[in-house]
Amino acid sequence: MKILIVEDNRELADWLGKALRQAQYAVDIAFDGEDAELMLKVASYSVVILDLSLPKIDGMTLLRRIRQKGEKVPIIILTANASLDGRVAGLDSGADDYLAKPFEIAELEARIRAVVRRGQDRAAPEIVIGDLVFAGSTRQFFVGGEPLALTPREHAVLEFLAMKAGTTVSKATLSESVFGFDDEADPTAIEIYVHRLRKKLEGSSAQIATLRGLGYLLRDAK
Amino acid sequence: MPSRTIKNQWSALKRLRESLRAQLLAWVVLTLVGAICFNLYDSFRTADAASKLVTDRTLLASARVIAEAVRVDSGGTVEVDVPPAALEMFDTGYGDQVFYQVITAWGNLVAGFPDLPLPTVERVGQDKSFRSASVRTLALNHPVVGLPDDGIISVTVAVTHNSQFALRRRLWLSDFTKQLVLVLLAGIVTIIGLQRGLAPVLRLRDAVRARGRDRLDPLSPSMVQTELRPLVLALNDHMERVQNQMAAQRRFVSNAAHQLRTPLALISTQASVAAREESPERRDEALQALRNSTRQISRLASQLLTLSRAEPGSRRPRRDVIDLAKAAEEVLGAQAEEALRRGIDIGLEEAGPVKVAGDGTMLREMLVNLVDNAIRYTPVGGKVTVSVTCHDGKALLTVEDSGPGIHPMEREHVFERFYRVMGTEEEGSGLGLAIVREVVEGAGGAVYLSDAAGGGLLVTVRLPILETLLGQEMSRLST
Repeated sequence: MKILIVEDNRELADWLGKALRQAQYAVDIAFDGEDAELMLKVASYSVVILDLSLPKIDGMTLLRRIRQKGEKVPIIILTANASLDGRVAGLDSGADDYLAKPFEIAELEARIRAVVRRGQDRAAPEIVIGDLVFAGSTRQFFVGGEPLALTPREHAVLEFLAMKAGTTVSKATLSESVFGFDDEADPTAIEIYVHRLRKKLEGSSAQIATLRGLGYLLRDAK
Repeated sequence: MPSRTIKNQWSALKRLRESLRAQLLAWVVLTLVGAICFNLYDSFRTADAASKLVTDRTLLASARVIAEAVRVDSGGTVEVDVPPAALEMFDTGYGDQVFYQVITAWGNLVAGFPDLPLPTVERVGQDKSFRSASVRTLALNHPVVGLPDDGIISVTVAVTHNSQFALRRRLWLSDFTKQLVLVLLAGIVTIIGLQRGLAPVLRLRDAVRARGRDRLDPLSPSMVQTELRPLVLALNDHMERVQNQMAAQRRFVSNAAHQLRTPLALISTQASVAAREESPERRDEALQALRNSTRQISRLASQLLTLSRAEPGSRRPRRDVIDLAKAAEEVLGAQAEEALRRGIDIGLEEAGPVKVAGDGTMLREMLVNLVDNAIRYTPVGGKVTVSVTCHDGKALLTVEDSGPGIHPMEREHVFERFYRVMGTEEEGSGLGLAIVREVVEGAGGAVYLSDAAGGGLLVTVRLPILETLLGQEMSRLST
């Protein structure tokens, strides 16, 4: 899953990025509204974390523009202005959640999981595909009750496929949502990760099917 | 405790003396008492004069009646048969005693008491003492037909004072009662007027007292008399100023709280990253960054404190004498390590002591902020030069750096609190230059920004030099 952080305080943006990467998200960072708008145009994100006081295009304007385009990407506002009016205005302008600074990373992550779940119209925090279980609260995979050991990239690929379980995901979409701008994204890299994942899922009833010209599909093979 | 009672009494007296109502009342009562005393005296004198006049008239009438009764018989003997009416006219029921004496011009006693004291002037009543009683006497010279030469006899009548005093008392009492009623009436009306006149003032007092702590909206000037309206207007003016100051304070506090949120979020994030990181190097990196952020936030806190101290009225104005050159040397010394770490060449240009007067701590804080800013915004390998000189009777402090400078459009704004130049990558609170301006203006100086020769920023601070201050003082003393 890829997250866009829009925050003008560079240090905070960098460290937020580090924290979210630790939590196995792919992260892109924009320091101003213009960059953020551009990045939203060229890449697709699972969640946008948006600071409201931004240079060039302020957060509120950016938020309205995103929603006017009909983008449904979940947006969490992150701001130092914790007033009731600010929260109401933010939520009314199309934000999905609002978090006031200072905050705990654990809470931010929980809110990210919540808005993602809601975006997928999923009430339960768990995704079950045969004996493969994705626990939404910890974002861990289990096969037959045993945790599945994955590298961050493998995790990202499998998570995205699990989120879209039952539908095909094109290689380009997968690549786009797994790699940030700074990562050396290579379409063939996805194939390698899928290959490795298939190996790790060998004993499971879940498998990743390749549909030529369409992409990948995570499904219960039984 | 007796001392406390005395103290209480004293404070009560003091309160009374400071009370407007008591003061006004005291003045009115004093005036009225004065008027009463004067009236008492004046009406007594009037009554006394009137009673004397009446007595004298009676005495004269009596003497005339006696004189009319003087006869000279054929042998030339002067005789008088005092008619009873002459004495009865004194019988007014007060038991007065009447004495008389009739003598001829040559000194023969015709009738009456030979030892009756005679008045010195004719027809004028005089108080004399006769047989241990005080009497009113009056003499009348009267020509008698049938007497040779100076055919004049002198009739003296004396009467004790009972009737006269009774008359005087009655006259005085009736007059005094009338005046007393008048004065009392005036007093009552005055007190009522005082109460009514003071009522708006007391209402104003109650209105001010009844207000909540935070209610500062203006009072209506029409609630008091025109003479007091300037007071209400001044009060309103004062309240407005307090309100503005409070609003500024509130803005500052909320701004400050706002400014603290982002660094706190950063610290919290860095702590979370460090706690979760498994690789020791990366955890160390996070911890190092955490320490840095903590340092930054402490600096922000101390700057906020400095700024609140530099605000006019928040600190007792101090007139330390500090040598700007020496202070600059100290500040540069303290920052040298940081400058060297960044590979910045820092230098001081000075030509002897430059003494200025002001709050030493604040002036040093100003220098710290200027030097800190210069080092912060100067790229690696750059140059920062501080110079302290005297110029045109002013202390001139300049801090020059080889950083990116500040665009002319931004120069006025950078002195505002929390203002940060857009796109600045360096960490900073946006308070440094606000502090500098506050301190410099507090010390009676001015601060300007301009382009440095090398393209960086040149900050110029002008402060009144101590010698010129002394000179002004001297010339003021000598004139």
